[in-house]
Amino acid sequence: MDFKQFLASFKIKTGYDFCDYSDNSISRRLDKISAESKLSFEQMLDKVMTDETFKNKVIDEITVNTTELFRDPTMWISLYKTLYQQLPKSATITFWHIGCSRGLEVYSNLIMMHLLGNLDRCRAIGTDLNSRVLEIGRKGEYSYRFNLYFKDNFNAVMAGCGLDAKFEDYFDIDESQDKMKVKPFLLEKPKFIEQNLVQDKAPFAYKVDVVFFRNVMIYFNDKLQNKIMSMVCSKMYDGAALILGKQESLTSQMMTRFTKTGQYYQKKVLL
Amino acid sequence: MSDYKAVVIGGSAGSFAVVLKMLSKLRPDFELPIIICMHRLKHIRSGLAENLDIKSSMKVVEPYDKERIEKGKVYLAPSNYHMFVEFDGTISLSIEDMNNQSRPSIDYTLSSAAASYREKCLGIILTGANKDGAKGLKDIADKKGFTIVQDPKTAEVDTMPKSALKIMQPDLILSPDGITDFLNNLK
Repeated sequence: MDFKQFLASFKIKTGYDFCDYSDNSISRRLDKISAESKLSFEQMLDKVMTDETFKNKVIDEITVNTTELFRDPTMWISLYKTLYQQLPKSATITFWHIGCSRGLEVYSNLIMMHLLGNLDRCRAIGTDLNSRVLEIGRKGEYSYRFNLYFKDNFNAVMAGCGLDAKFEDYFDIDESQDKMKVKPFLLEKPKFIEQNLVQDKAPFAYKVDVVFFRNVMIYFNDKLQNKIMSMVCSKMYDGAALILGKQESLTSQMMTRFTKTGQYYQKKVLL
Repeated sequence: MSDYKAVVIGGSAGSFAVVLKMLSKLRPDFELPIIICMHRLKHIRSGLAENLDIKSSMKVVEPYDKERIEKGKVYLAPSNYHMFVEFDGTISLSIEDMNNQSRPSIDYTLSSAAASYREKCLGIILTGANKDGAKGLKDIADKKGFTIVQDPKTAEVDTMPKSALKIMQPDLILSPDGITDFLNNLK
């Protein structure tokens, strides 16, 4: 059985559709699970049906859950100087973080909104396929020592933006428990909702002003990228901003609907 | 050069200077793509490609995901991303977990190049303070590709070349100048 047959069966058995993930990337990760568990693809399929923990492990391995506070500080500094200065001045501003994992990008953005005095009129939604990482995002509690570089990123962004803020303004740190926890005034803001991008529509009714969609589409083939971007695009206001990962670009088909402005894409206004 | 489809290089501590010198001395008509995965300090996140590009007659880029690999270009793994060579001749990127405490991981880049190019892969391991890359170079050798390890005596930090030598026998062990000469003499 090859990985394509595995994915087709996995979809039927679990409802999770990874068939249009990019070939090399997904076959590499499936090979890794197979090697570590010492199971063939056939045996893995059998185990998925009877062992919920193993099923979750397969999903965790296939879906990449890396997330960090202020990942790529230069991008945040650039956003601060451009997009963030042009946000709507009065109305609600809606942010959608797609594939938000444990929510650190959601909190990074909310920190910036707080510093800009916009927090009260922000609506922040984080969606992800994986309900287990979303739960961590809701709690807003992370290991401290392992993530000390969050502080470096934070300080780099503050310095680059000329902002005077301390990490401790936003996180309660408990070194003895090796924990940092997002402060309540930030923690209460975002909504974390489960969404399977391949199958589901956006799990909310309103349109959004800014979409963070960083380092998610790198795992999808072109066909799936186009399908998902059409869905995302339909949820964006005209002129809304789309932020991709530092090394990502839109497919040529989707590029016709956006204009690139510095670090982000802007949805074209159709006349 | 028709024997190979690409040169794939991995290095860590001390390797930036070696790569810089190599690229500046390569002959202008060197046409194989060069795919480089170097560990870098976390706070130095940009400027590396620009610095290499100034000294090189080849165009040095940090590739975008799904970018096509072209002749005469140098591809440098972007900071904080893993970089893979795909079967269809494109680059793919990933932010999955670190491997050998590293992202980018040299093993990932080299192993994917071994799988894609097989015997037409030319792999090189340079100076470095980490064992990352040893397994990847072995994968290239196992697929009958050509392998070179920087002579540990010439390495600023010899952990990486020594780790490779511990698990495989490369075709050549050379000094940095020796590697440059070898590349310039490829037919």
